[in-house]
Amino acid sequence: MIEAIGITKSFRTNSSEVVAVNDVNLEVKPGEFVLILGRSGSGKSTLLGMLAGLIRPTAGVVRIHGNEIGNLSEDKTAEVRAKEIGFVFQFSGLIPTITALENVMLPTLFYPDGPGSRSRAVELLRKVGLSEREDAYPSTLSSGEMKRVAIARALINGPPILIADEPTGDLDVDTEIEIMELFKSVNREGTTIIMVTHNPDLVPYANRIYGMVRGKLVKDPESFCIRTWKAEPGRPVEKE
Amino acid sequence: MRTSPEFGFFRLLVQNLANHPYRNIATIFAFAFIAATLFSSQYLMNGAQASLDKGMSRMGADILVVPEEYIAAGQTVILSGQPSSFFFENSNYEKISRIPGVAKASPQIYIATLFASCCAAPVQMIAIDPENDFTIATWLKQNPGVKLGKDDMIIGSAIVQNVGNNLFFYGHTFHVVGILEQTGMGVDNSVFIRFEDAYVMADESELKAVKKLTIPQGMVSSVLVKVDPGTSPAVVEREIQDQVPGTKTITPNGLLNTVSGQLGAVRRLLNGATLAVTIVSIPLLGFISAMVAHEQRKDFAILQALGATKAFVLRLMLAESFSIALIGGLIGIGSAAIFFVFFQDFIATSLKIPFIIPSPIAVLVDGSSALFLCAGIGGIASLYPAILINRSEPYETIRKGKS
Repeated sequence: MIEAIGITKSFRTNSSEVVAVNDVNLEVKPGEFVLILGRSGSGKSTLLGMLAGLIRPTAGVVRIHGNEIGNLSEDKTAEVRAKEIGFVFQFSGLIPTITALENVMLPTLFYPDGPGSRSRAVELLRKVGLSEREDAYPSTLSSGEMKRVAIARALINGPPILIADEPTGDLDVDTEIEIMELFKSVNREGTTIIMVTHNPDLVPYANRIYGMVRGKLVKDPESFCIRTWKAEPGRPVEKE
Repeated sequence: MRTSPEFGFFRLLVQNLANHPYRNIATIFAFAFIAATLFSSQYLMNGAQASLDKGMSRMGADILVVPEEYIAAGQTVILSGQPSSFFFENSNYEKISRIPGVAKASPQIYIATLFASCCAAPVQMIAIDPENDFTIATWLKQNPGVKLGKDDMIIGSAIVQNVGNNLFFYGHTFHVVGILEQTGMGVDNSVFIRFEDAYVMADESELKAVKKLTIPQGMVSSVLVKVDPGTSPAVVEREIQDQVPGTKTITPNGLLNTVSGQLGAVRRLLNGATLAVTIVSIPLLGFISAMVAHEQRKDFAILQALGATKAFVLRLMLAESFSIALIGGLIGIGSAAIFFVFFQDFIATSLKIPFIIPSPIAVLVDGSSALFLCAGIGGIASLYPAILINRSEPYETIRKGKS
């Protein structure tokens, strides 16, 4: 289970303080698929960063399976990330100097006692439909293929939680559907997924939907105009 | 089908290095330059020191007495073997022999040769009295134990001839019976004959040689002195200067000081060059490292997001930096070593320093210290980027650097 209690993140600029995430409370139970919708700059990626222990909250606490990650040392936080969380970035986030297979195996370096192995990496690449591309370097992969490698990589250590930051942001509609189906199948196998997106078309894939508006998490989708989005796909938020 | 090698830290390191060839080549070149400069400097200095040590012990005498006005020429004969001729009265030899504390004294006559068939340049010919001499026989590398007989010659290691060959000087034929060990000093370019043969050669030269050789009767060029065990050479040296006016003494220590002075200038030059290269390189390499860190910061942040500790990222950065430094260092040392194989004698001659190849241990120490310096500079140069990475928020870096 992942739990955020009153987390806030503010950044100081030259003249003022910007509150990116403002007093957010969130509880995600095992096996859930949580979608957080919001427009650019709403604070949803910062929220994800805090949930993954990559950004320290200015206030509040984040607990992963009961462990308050703010109290952990940096090394321990890194260990939690390696064991408990798989990360899929908006862009592919693949290391360009190593092959697809090696990219999938990368997290095993940080959790050597985990379930990750070369054979598991091969199996995961097969699962995402890239068994023929394991020796390909990222520069030779399409956007969709890169994303699928990134998903395989996120799953290599068998994490109970998958965090995805706009994973379909740069994909065409067909590839977006393929990727979302992949997420759905991973979720069906028991992996908890927390995903942020600005695309309301992805709502059907999730069990629970939140909105992110000016750093606040909004529980009622109606209040941030999901219907408006769905009526006019791709149109930016006009009212909140 | 799988062709990827085993994946781990090393593979990640190698791939990171292999994928930035131009940047790495530039950095490796800088390290190679530093290592080559330092190694060359150390190698030359050690070679000079080794030559000096060997030459001093090779000199075999505690004191060399020469005419007062030819002290510089005497030193040159010992250090470089540059041909020279000078004389003083043989009676000085007799006076020196009688001075208390003198255990052995052996006169020598220096004869500057013409160009000879054996050699590319004129060599220093030294006539000795084999019965009295205590400086040559023990240093024979080939044919040890041989004594100079009629028309026999012992040659220095730089004279490229073999035992059994005949050599011609001033129209006189000499038979090579022994070759001395290399010292890196003047003796390497010298040949040794008997007094008697020197006089015969001089007599014959008017008819046989293009230029007449004159060796004044009753004159010698120098006297080598061995002091009694337990007697201070300094005391005997003072006695010689008091009792034999018109002479000057050269001692191994004095010679060492003279050469050290010469070496000091070379040492300062080489050390200055190393220091300058190092001072220029550190900010340059620091700048390159910072550029690299900037270029790779997104990748490092991704590693952290995937569970890498900051220590892992730091280790990867330092491993890259050290690898480049060591590769550069090895290339620099290797290049300098190859260069020295072909040009060390030329360089030593140009710098006017005695030189022999230092011992393998000394060469190893020279190489290690050059590598150590490179690794140190590599470490220092990667400090700033390491701090930069350490301070950054990985997720912010990933988002800013998204592609």
